[in-house]
Amino acid sequence: MQEEEILFRADNIVKKYANHIALNDVSISVPKQSIFGLLGPNGAGKTSLIRIINQITAPDSGNVYINGEKLNREHVSIIGYLPEERGLYKKMKVGEQAMYLAQLKGMSKKEAKTSLDYWFKKFEIDAWWNKKVEELSKGMAQKIQFITTVMHKPQLLILDEPFSGFDPINSNLVKNEIKKLRDEGATVILSTHNMGSVEEICDDIALINNSRKILGGKIKEVKESFAKDQYTIEFKGNVVAFANAVWGGWELIERTQIGEHHFKAIVKLVGGNSLNNYLKALLDHVEVLSVNKVIPSMNDIFIQAIEDQKLQKENNINLTNKTEENE
Amino acid sequence: MSKIGLIIGREYSSRVKKKSFIVMTILVPILSAVFLIGAVYLGTPEVKDLKVLVVDDTGIIVDDIIDNQKNNKIIPKTAHGNIVDDPDAHLNEKYTFQEYEEVANGKSADDAKIDFVENEKYKDCDVILYIPKNITYSKVVKLYYKETPSPKALTYINLLVNESIEIASLSNYNITKEDYQEIKKKITLHSILYSDKDEKDTRTAIKAGIGFAFGLMIYMFIFLYGVQVMKGVIEEKTNRIVEVIISSVKPFELMMGKIIGIMFVGLTQFFMWVVLIGVLTTVVVPFVVPDEYSPMFQAGTQTEIQTSQEVGAMIEPELQNTMQGNELLDVLINETPWASMLLVFLFFFIGGYLLYGSLMAAIGSAVDSETDTQQFMLPVTMPLVFAYLISIMGIQDPDSPIMVWCSQIPFTSPVVMLVRYSANGGVGMGWDLVLSMFLLVITFIATTWLAAKIYRTGILMYGKKVTYKELFKWLKY
Repeated sequence: MQEEEILFRADNIVKKYANHIALNDVSISVPKQSIFGLLGPNGAGKTSLIRIINQITAPDSGNVYINGEKLNREHVSIIGYLPEERGLYKKMKVGEQAMYLAQLKGMSKKEAKTSLDYWFKKFEIDAWWNKKVEELSKGMAQKIQFITTVMHKPQLLILDEPFSGFDPINSNLVKNEIKKLRDEGATVILSTHNMGSVEEICDDIALINNSRKILGGKIKEVKESFAKDQYTIEFKGNVVAFANAVWGGWELIERTQIGEHHFKAIVKLVGGNSLNNYLKALLDHVEVLSVNKVIPSMNDIFIQAIEDQKLQKENNINLTNKTEENE
Repeated sequence: MSKIGLIIGREYSSRVKKKSFIVMTILVPILSAVFLIGAVYLGTPEVKDLKVLVVDDTGIIVDDIIDNQKNNKIIPKTAHGNIVDDPDAHLNEKYTFQEYEEVANGKSADDAKIDFVENEKYKDCDVILYIPKNITYSKVVKLYYKETPSPKALTYINLLVNESIEIASLSNYNITKEDYQEIKKKITLHSILYSDKDEKDTRTAIKAGIGFAFGLMIYMFIFLYGVQVMKGVIEEKTNRIVEVIISSVKPFELMMGKIIGIMFVGLTQFFMWVVLIGVLTTVVVPFVVPDEYSPMFQAGTQTEIQTSQEVGAMIEPELQNTMQGNELLDVLINETPWASMLLVFLFFFIGGYLLYGSLMAAIGSAVDSETDTQQFMLPVTMPLVFAYLISIMGIQDPDSPIMVWCSQIPFTSPVVMLVRYSANGGVGMGWDLVLSMFLLVITFIATTWLAAKIYRTGILMYGKKVTYKELFKWLKY
């Protein structure tokens, strides 16, 4: 496979605040023209990282690169940022405000007007141009915020919880728009708790917990790595025959009856048993209808990974306690 | 740089377009013009026609009184010698004196009092002026009235009678009229401050008062617009737009853009006021107010009085009282160095505003709502209020040590220095002024720097009750 072109890279980022470490040696790289899911529980350090990318704060150590160039003020105009805490000037008119934000991003008045006309038409909101923000509903304001994030055709889009506050219809609209933007060349960093949408649209992910990156890579590979040699087997025949077909090397996790002599079972292979061997033995006793590897959902992976880290941490603490006791 | 320009532009235009701004800008000059006109009107009480019935038991003085009054011999000659510009000249036309002819028939004051009420001939008289026979010894004349006459009328009558009696009795003392005029000339106490080889006229309190008015304006503007800066920051924070904006511009640019934008709003308002007040007082007032009451006219008059005063002419002390108000106008128009005064005003306005505005921005960034601002507002507003109080006291003694110190300390100098500068007429304040300006500049750079540090952390902090300790930590981030 050809080496991917990397649009964004962060190397060994450390960010400390007075009482805690927000980011501890975090590195991520985001391939060009992909959607990158930045995941993690609340307070993990996602927003800190996003603010560093937006140059709202600076890291204590580590470097950030865009297109191989060290991050600098010029990059502001190629980044579009939709923060989690977002809003608009309530007393300002919609159009005026969008023009203002566009110019702050470095667009000329003319460019801004052309781009905004396009987006306002697309989202069917051109009638709101002269309305004040305070007259709009929350959902309407969200649309405008999304537009002001993408209006300057940013190469890098950073969306922090973009779906919060949207109804399912608008949420879908935005989701499709994000995908379209990627297909047109944009690179997207998406921070969200919504694992469903991660699975749906992300290409790569990084999971941050307790200021460290604990998981990362292509979403498929991550999922593979969490798959635990479990298979769903649908078969017709006798349950007892199924259970007795193979003597060792597997465990039954779950079994459901679908119809008369028709079952679905989740089995886990253990002791280095291979699927082929298992199936060979099984085929003589029941009629196998389908075999599927069990792939965990992102939700499961998220919870699993964070619990694993917690366990590991507790073990470490126990170990240090023990050594202290020994001393 | 162009981005900070955009921010300044937005802050400016969004405020200038507000209804409240337009209303304030128009209403304040109109109100102050109304007050000014009102003050002049009240300060110059209306002179009513007055008919005086003179009951002269001596039988000699009444003719002199009527003659002196008709020919306007007394007041102009003794007071200013210039009839045309004398605001009191018209009194001669307003007052008429009539002799009580029944005196010849042996009647006197008691009869006059009855006639004064009942007799058709004397009914229209307003007061009875009774001169008893022994006037030259008793020195008492009586005035009976139906309605209280104005103080001005009383002064006038007193003066008229006094001088008429004196002139009438000259022959008793072998004094010629010329000698009398010479004796009557009074000295004028013209006090002049001598220091640093500079002679300073001491209408100092008035000048200090004018300076105080400027200082007060700065005080008000810092409060009004400083609070606007704070509110603006809180608004951006609670609207949650601030993070969007600082992903495009630096927090420092956003903060300075806001402070400077609002400063221009303040300056716009100030110049609008100056222009509107100017137009109102020069164009509108003369149409509304009769000439002799208009401030311009009175100030003009005052100048000539001033000149005549300097060449040694007399001024009656009673009349001086009525001129107190006019002296202010005279100082305003003739003795205030407007150009340099305005420059000093602008400098200290901008300097003081930037100093306090940046602190207000820092406060706004540290809180979630206006109700949380109090604990931080107090230490910021205290020196300003202190400066205001010091200045009020300093009007009487503008160069007292505390005034000198407070005009150097940057937290108080924007108000106090204006009083001192104006009191001294801008004279002899070289190093004093320069040092104060220098300190102000240094300090506002320092506070802006500190405020920016608090600001950039504060604007992204939500839902946290901030303490001073916390703010101190932010300085180190």
